[in-house]
Amino acid sequence: MAQTRKELLVDPLVDNNPITLQVLGICSALAVTSSLQVALVMTLAVTFVTAFASFFISILRNQIPNSIRIIVQMVIIASLVILVDQVLKAYAFQVSKTLSVFVGLIITNCIVMGRAEAFAMKNPPVASFIDGIGNGLGYGLILILVGIIRELFGSGSLLGFTILPTVNNGGWYVPNGMLLLPPSAFFIIGLLIWGFRTWKPAQVEEREYKIQSAEAH
Amino acid sequence: MGLRSFFDRIEPNFEKGGKYEKYFPVYEMVESLLYTPKTVTKAAPHARSFVDMKRIMTYVVIATIPCILMALYNTGLQTNTALTALGEGSQTGWRVAVMQALGFSLEPGLVSNMVHGFLYFVPIYLTTLIVGGLWEVLFATVRGHEVNEGFLVTSMLYVLIVPASTPLWQVALGISFGVVLGKEVFGGTGKNFLNPALTGRAFLYFAYPANMSGDSIWTPVDGFSGATALGVSAAEGVQSLAGYGITWWDAFFGTIQGSLGETSALAAMIGLAFLLITRIANWRLVVGCMGGMIGFSLLLNLIGSDSNPMFAMPWYWHFVLGGYAFGLAFMVTEPVSASHTNLGRYIYGALIGFMVVMIRVINPAFPEGMMLAILFANIFAPLIDYFVVRANISRRAKRNV
Amino acid sequence: MSEQEPNTEPKGALGRFLAASPDSPGKTIIVAVVLCLFCSMVVATAAVNLRPIQEANKLKDKQVNILQVAGKYEPGVDIAEAFAAFEPRIVELESGTFTDEFDAASFDDRAAASDPALSISLSDDPAGIGRQTKYATVYLLNDDAGNLDKVILPIYGYGLWSTLYGFIALEENGNDIFGLQFYEHAETPGLGAEVDNPRWKAMWNGKKLRDESGELQITVAKGTGHEDHHIDALAGATLTSVGVDNLVRFWMGEAGFAPFLESLKEGEL
Repeated sequence: MAQTRKELLVDPLVDNNPITLQVLGICSALAVTSSLQVALVMTLAVTFVTAFASFFISILRNQIPNSIRIIVQMVIIASLVILVDQVLKAYAFQVSKTLSVFVGLIITNCIVMGRAEAFAMKNPPVASFIDGIGNGLGYGLILILVGIIRELFGSGSLLGFTILPTVNNGGWYVPNGMLLLPPSAFFIIGLLIWGFRTWKPAQVEEREYKIQSAEAH
Repeated sequence: MGLRSFFDRIEPNFEKGGKYEKYFPVYEMVESLLYTPKTVTKAAPHARSFVDMKRIMTYVVIATIPCILMALYNTGLQTNTALTALGEGSQTGWRVAVMQALGFSLEPGLVSNMVHGFLYFVPIYLTTLIVGGLWEVLFATVRGHEVNEGFLVTSMLYVLIVPASTPLWQVALGISFGVVLGKEVFGGTGKNFLNPALTGRAFLYFAYPANMSGDSIWTPVDGFSGATALGVSAAEGVQSLAGYGITWWDAFFGTIQGSLGETSALAAMIGLAFLLITRIANWRLVVGCMGGMIGFSLLLNLIGSDSNPMFAMPWYWHFVLGGYAFGLAFMVTEPVSASHTNLGRYIYGALIGFMVVMIRVINPAFPEGMMLAILFANIFAPLIDYFVVRANISRRAKRNV
Repeated sequence: MSEQEPNTEPKGALGRFLAASPDSPGKTIIVAVVLCLFCSMVVATAAVNLRPIQEANKLKDKQVNILQVAGKYEPGVDIAEAFAAFEPRIVELESGTFTDEFDAASFDDRAAASDPALSISLSDDPAGIGRQTKYATVYLLNDDAGNLDKVILPIYGYGLWSTLYGFIALEENGNDIFGLQFYEHAETPGLGAEVDNPRWKAMWNGKKLRDESGELQITVAKGTGHEDHHIDALAGATLTSVGVDNLVRFWMGEAGFAPFLESLKEGEL
């Protein structure tokens, strides 16, 4: 194994983050970050699914027929997602109402599928499990950051507790309505990527072009 | 020339290896604001022209002067009219105090309108210049390039498209968003594919809709409510404007409710004429935009609708209402974010003309569509150019068989 | 691959199967079938076992909304117990009388609205709902003495982007509004979604539907109006406000609950 278990867990948080570096799973990151609570629940759900999907697929990896391997992965992932969805509906009804279809859409989240195909098919179960947790948390880290920014400045609260009393409720803070709209997560994720790449210049991709300067001749 | 020699004396400090090397952009900004830039092209090929970035940007600022004057006059007119209508009790705030201290009346009149409008215009403009300028200098310092005159244009256009009642902190946030995310993220002037002034305005529109739309924000007087002409048309149809005392000529001259400097189609057209004569604006963009707007609004007139009165709005009303004329003169023709091929310019303009009518008439949530239409077309401009170039290549390849 | 292939012969049928190449057609089919069977069993078990809890949640959610609109909700209260004070009844809208044709506990208003037998297609449709149910579930709240205290009516209609579903609570005279609450909508967050703002909802309390001559007067509009009947529109959300205005006036009007409220007032029920 090239990576230690600690690296498997920590690497996807910043250095190889599924959202900011690999730019996967953006769709759900836009939809479920309007408040911190749904971001947290979504983080848990995705981490659970990624970890166990990787785990089971890794166990079966030598038995999975190559011709139907994507379908097999999908079946396992989908079953886990339905399980999560059912449990949320039973024990966290309000949250599952806000998450609505996005729990179901974890099935199509590229991160789950990507880790299954890229890692779990080639590595033993425990390493795959840890890798799944790491990637789920890496995804969740961004979700939570975006969720904090959007809920704090969009509705003046965190986890439903008022931090900045808004004008509509008699306070002073004028909430930023754009942050309540899903596209605002694009801007925030873009700024986060900008920040990450300034912090870790190794993440910057090489330019595909070069502008010639007049003085360079 | 004392000043010139002062600059020459301190310049070495800001050049490479000098004491204040880091602050070269700041020095350069002040110097080139006062004097012609000294940089000359050193490498071949040489193209000789009097037109440089500084001249283009200065021309655009000059072209906005009629709109600025109308902004002052109309803001003052609307405010004074509202104050007179509401009577004594509404005359509060520092502007009223300043007006009274200087001995200007609060009755509508040419001088009192201009002065009162000026008192609204200046704080917004100063905020924009200072906050946006700080971002420009910050990015220029970090990246080691020069602050250029493009920002003067951006800041002026931005000020002219916000409502007079906008709180100053929102003005500051909007220009920050416009400059940073509309321009600097992509590398600064010349590399932005969105119009930074519009980006900032769109940010405000979505972030603080209560301050950016509705009936009570266009005239900065508490308790006064006046819908924009577009708002009235969307609710009751364009023919009902007469009932509100708005004629086509009012809309053309710009004595109606609206953002600071975009109410007057006449002022915008004077600016546009100046830009066209100086060849800064490309006439193909204007033709495309007018064609798209007239074509699609005629089509909608023909289709008609029982429930949506906007279908019946004729094109000459679309032209004078909202931000259409202003956007046409200063935003559509902005060379950086528009298409760069000649055929592409027609298509780009037509797309804006089509979209503005589309949003105004068919979208229920937004009575005004010029800002969104231009931003939408900004995004498509490179794609339009790409297809125009591809089509040209394949046409020439065929000819060569 | 760092793992060493075991050198021993696989033992038994299962061992031979596991050792066989996964790409043979036979094994492909068997793996697919076994996996699908197993997964479907897991999913089915979870769904069946959790169904009662989910149903209870849905019911509880609806009950909480009714409690809230009637001002009977407090955090920590036993929902089922508090809700026992409410009596669900089915109203036939046209005649304005109760009907026992359906079971009030299980009648589904929203399913009825799209059932051709139980609904009518509207030609005059200010609320933008297309079809209107002929029967609606209302909730009667009696006070401790057994007298009618409040009546809760379901209302819905189109706003800017979505259909708003909610309840309106009226005092026993069928004219004074106690509260209004929407439990499902997709209006613009921060603008139209402010229909959920407690301060805006509080404005409904104490308003009157009709004036003394019986004209429906309640309006949601900008600016100021008659203090008994006027509710200020939501700032920056013109079309949602118009939608709420239309739907409240529609459901409180002749096509809606007016006949029922009339008979309620006259004490015929």
